[in-house]
Amino acid sequence: MSTALALEGVTLTYRGQTVLDAVDLRVASGEVLALLGPSASGKTSVLRVALGFAVPRAGTVRLGERIVSRDGRLLVAPEDRGLAVVFQDLALWPHLTVEGNLGFGLAARGVPARERAERIAAMLGRVGLAGTERRFPGELSGGQRQRVAIARALVMEPRAVLLDEPLANVDVDLRRELLELLRELFRENGTTVIHVTHDLREAVAVAHRIAVIEAGRIVQQGSLGDLRRAPATPFVRALIEDLEDRASRVDCAERESGRRS
Amino acid sequence: MGRPLRAALRRHEQELVLALAAAALCTVGVAPFASLLVREGTAWLNASTPLVSSGALSLLLRSLVLSALVTLLALALGMPLGVLVGRTDVRGLWPASLLHAFPAFLPPFLLALGWFHLFGVSGLLGSEATSRALFSDVGVVFVLALAFTPIVTCLVALGIQGVDPGLEEAARVVAKPSRVVTRILIPAAAPAWILAAIVIFTLSFSELGVPMFLRVDTFPAAVFSRLGGVDYAPGEALALVLPLVPFALLLLAAERRFVGTRSYAVFGLRSRRQDRLGLGRWRPAASAALWLAALLSVAPIAALAWRALSGGGLAEAGRWMGRAPWNSLSSSAVAATAIVGIGLVVGHATARRLRGAAALDSAAVLAFVAPAAVLGIGLISLWNRPALQWVYGSTGILVVGYVARYAVIGVRTIGSLIAQTPLHVEEAAAAAGAGFWRRLTRILLPLHARGVGFAWLLALVFCLRDLELAVLYYPPGGEPLTVRLFTLEANGPESVVAALAVVQVTMTAAVLGAGGFLLRRRAT
Repeated sequence: MSTALALEGVTLTYRGQTVLDAVDLRVASGEVLALLGPSASGKTSVLRVALGFAVPRAGTVRLGERIVSRDGRLLVAPEDRGLAVVFQDLALWPHLTVEGNLGFGLAARGVPARERAERIAAMLGRVGLAGTERRFPGELSGGQRQRVAIARALVMEPRAVLLDEPLANVDVDLRRELLELLRELFRENGTTVIHVTHDLREAVAVAHRIAVIEAGRIVQQGSLGDLRRAPATPFVRALIEDLEDRASRVDCAERESGRRS
Repeated sequence: MGRPLRAALRRHEQELVLALAAAALCTVGVAPFASLLVREGTAWLNASTPLVSSGALSLLLRSLVLSALVTLLALALGMPLGVLVGRTDVRGLWPASLLHAFPAFLPPFLLALGWFHLFGVSGLLGSEATSRALFSDVGVVFVLALAFTPIVTCLVALGIQGVDPGLEEAARVVAKPSRVVTRILIPAAAPAWILAAIVIFTLSFSELGVPMFLRVDTFPAAVFSRLGGVDYAPGEALALVLPLVPFALLLLAAERRFVGTRSYAVFGLRSRRQDRLGLGRWRPAASAALWLAALLSVAPIAALAWRALSGGGLAEAGRWMGRAPWNSLSSSAVAATAIVGIGLVVGHATARRLRGAAALDSAAVLAFVAPAAVLGIGLISLWNRPALQWVYGSTGILVVGYVARYAVIGVRTIGSLIAQTPLHVEEAAAAAGAGFWRRLTRILLPLHARGVGFAWLLALVFCLRDLELAVLYYPPGGEPLTVRLFTLEANGPESVVAALAVVQVTMTAAVLGAGGFLLRRRAT
């Protein structure tokens, strides 16, 4: 499978501090990679480097075969990278309608109005928001806003979607619903994804592969089985234990409720 | 254009746009100072004797003392008023605040004229004693302090509304409201009142019309008289203004040390808290104090209107004012538009801390805090050349001067709006394929349309009220209304001068009213 996005030996410094330290990360086309790590471990910095909002002091960033940043130089501007992003705070443009939010990037890339309208309608239908075209973000519920942000990213048909903890602030039911939606959308479109999260369950729910970052270094990459078999650091072990602990509690609770009924 | 070149331009679009704005800002705001120092530095060395021999040094000290007194009095009056307006349940808050604030948008010279019609010998409430007091240092301090007090009131009110409610609530648990105000709110709003102090000191020191009208010798008047009065000696004018350059740099350093980007919290149009401190039994007295301030603000304007009506000046006004109101409006509108354009790009760069942005912000602040005489002489030194007469001999030079002096309004106001916008809003647009210009015009500009409109209005009104800069180099036949008023005051009929002052008041009120109506908050 060809490589969609790669960071090779990427080192990023900010105000004299090393934020990313020789990070190597590769995402294949159509692959969903979950990037896990504790707070301030450099998860978001990886996304910012990929997007071109931060330029690594050393190392190379590739999109496909094309080098887009190298050794302190931005070679391709963020707007020309063909990536899409969903931020934690969603960053919906409040002065634009739902249609305006989805159409903005398409217009910037010169997609004709007719095609734009068709793609927006199709995408809104796909995320269950048909009929909301004329509404402003402020008029939508929290869940609807999340869907608009996801739709805005996917309508661009990007070469990769970067998710920066977009589900961090949503309740359990909505998170489950949105995870289901994301899984379906990614599978249908064969989308390449980097999903930044600090929640292993969320990672397992959508990702093919998991990478763990700590203090700016990738400490382990692989499937959930790989992480389970040989956790590389105490943090990875804690993640696995937390996941299994929760799973066993859910199991017990289900058995308990079954006995009562 | 070849593809590689197009790609390179696109990659560096932000730098290119910023470079253009920087070039514009430096041409109007920095080059005059450079020209002053480079072209006239030698002349200054040769002519430094007038500074001492002509008594200019004592005038300089006198101007500094007067400006300091004006600043202190305005702070003493404006800080309690700012607290009343910003945080209390004082009666008639909005009408009283509007009346109190309005004179800040008028040239102080016009208010001095109004006080003259009240307290001059033949004024409504005048006598020999009141006239003597008015035509003295005390009168200058009184007139200027009352003219500038609303600046303190407004900035303190905005500043304390921007203080984190948590700070106040934590103090309210253990202290009385008065202590909370003096020990928590006012110190926390320090950038607001320090900014007010710097602005007032700057405006007072540059003020030309009020001391000249009240026959008080000051430093700017000495410079002005050497440029066009009986003491015509342009070389000496240059010698007089050069020592003010370090003074301007000192004010710039104070601004950067105590205010800087903290002014964003003052200008920021964030949502304001609705809860207000109950004044209880002090409410009637506090309300009376605010209304008294409002009445003191409008009293000179009412006196001008009375003089214009009683002397038949209004009927004559059209003949005397010529194209001056149009010159004022057109040059101010063009300048305000340029100020907003520069402010959008440089304010964005400052808010996002891009490389070089701090230097551009400093350049804009320097052009404002520098005494108007320094900037004015610098503009003359730079633009008064045969090849540049198409600018210098037209109202274009008014626009250049206004943009130079008031660019800081656009940079700081728009910078504060952008600083409060999450970076993700721009990054999401960039990721969607929008270049810098598209992000600026399609995302940030519409998102902050109201705030940008407010910046334009503020810049427009400051340009409309300018006298001390424009009077130094206004083009023949292109004088703005403030200059027309100032020159006519010396030998024109009193009622006509009062009528022209009423025209200036009406024009400013109409601009503010129309702007306020268009920018009113729309429910979405």
